[in-house]
Amino acid sequence: MNWKSYKNELIVAVSLLLMLSALLYKNNQISSRSQEMLSTKHSVREFRELIALQKTWANKNISKKVDKLEKIIPSSKVKWSKKGKKLTASYKNIDPKELNRLMTSILSMTVQIQELKINRNDSSYDVEFKCKW
Amino acid sequence: MKEQSLSDSVNIMLTPQFYTLKKEKLPIKYLYQAKKIAPSLFDGLLEDTQKYDYLVYKEEDEWMFIAYDLEAISDFLISKGIKPDQVAKIFFAQQASSSFTAPVLLEEKEALVSLDDTVVMVPQVALKEVYDTIPFDNSFTPKAGVTLQGIHASVLNKKQTVGLAAFFTLFAFMFFVEGWRYTHDSQATQEEMQMLLEDHPSLQSQYTRESIAAKYKTIDQNERKKREIVKTLAGMIFKGVKVGSFKLNEKAFKVEFTCSDPKVAKRLVQLAKKMKFKSVKIMTGNVVHIEEEL
Repeated sequence: MNWKSYKNELIVAVSLLLMLSALLYKNNQISSRSQEMLSTKHSVREFRELIALQKTWANKNISKKVDKLEKIIPSSKVKWSKKGKKLTASYKNIDPKELNRLMTSILSMTVQIQELKINRNDSSYDVEFKCKW
Repeated sequence: MKEQSLSDSVNIMLTPQFYTLKKEKLPIKYLYQAKKIAPSLFDGLLEDTQKYDYLVYKEEDEWMFIAYDLEAISDFLISKGIKPDQVAKIFFAQQASSSFTAPVLLEEKEALVSLDDTVVMVPQVALKEVYDTIPFDNSFTPKAGVTLQGIHASVLNKKQTVGLAAFFTLFAFMFFVEGWRYTHDSQATQEEMQMLLEDHPSLQSQYTRESIAAKYKTIDQNERKKREIVKTLAGMIFKGVKVGSFKLNEKAFKVEFTCSDPKVAKRLVQLAKKMKFKSVKIMTGNVVHIEEEL
């Protein structure tokens, strides 16, 4: 048999074989790795989420940040009690602007709000705030 | 020509009775242009019943056009015991005209000679009594030839072959890259996990991770809810509405808005309902009361 006569078919057959081998390789990789990879990716995602949550809600610097809540309102209006990782603060006769400032700070802090009370007295407000971290 | 019995493939040079030759001086520069006009040059010269192919080449300033019928050639070769797949290449005697410096004797009282650069077949008796002859050997083999594969062997031409091979190779490359990426991604993810574990040794145990995740997810959910409520209620304050009192703890919240008149109170109630608060009440003195669990 003269193989030279079938040169074209041979070239096509070899390239087809190459394609099928590559397809087989790809499918093999997918079937063997995909399950394992999905599980690992899921674990990595969960791990990262957990680290982010821990950074947010167990932030070691939060204790310093909480001190700002004492300073943003004139000290004459503030009653401050911080013990360990707990805070009880009361603010008397603060004006609406101070109330806004205080609320913005409280809401932006990653502390666990245990109690927040606001009472209006004519044009001023009294605020009681308890939190932990 | 006697019947042949071949064990290997051979090259064949055809004598002029198997082709029609035309020499033309044409103002053509490229081979593909010459190939295009080849059929029209033989108009009226060839039999309409046969299918012709053309071999075109340039010799000095002349274009050489050779018309041949592959099927007739193939049939002739088969009749002499030569199968198409035993034929490597077919050449035409005209292609080797410069090699015919002297007559080449054929076995049957005939000879091939070159007259005015055209190879013709003449009877040996027509040659002078004393003449030099040269043997036919490999030196006669021209550079280009034609194959019989188009008719009896190969079903694919060059264009189809290149197209299909390129297509399959491209897909092969794509599949391979995709497969490699899976392997690579998998390794990268595992390395990432390993690095995370090394950076946070306290979280190496799955049990610890689960319990910490449960704790912080609950805190995160509750605290986000509290902040969302405060923001929503703050957004409900407009002209004529003031917060009378507000109380929020771990489980519930209670708010009282003092409104300037009943119209404002009604508008506030509508707004509260739009914000999906269910326990909205208007109390005496235009006070709007909302109390709900978190």
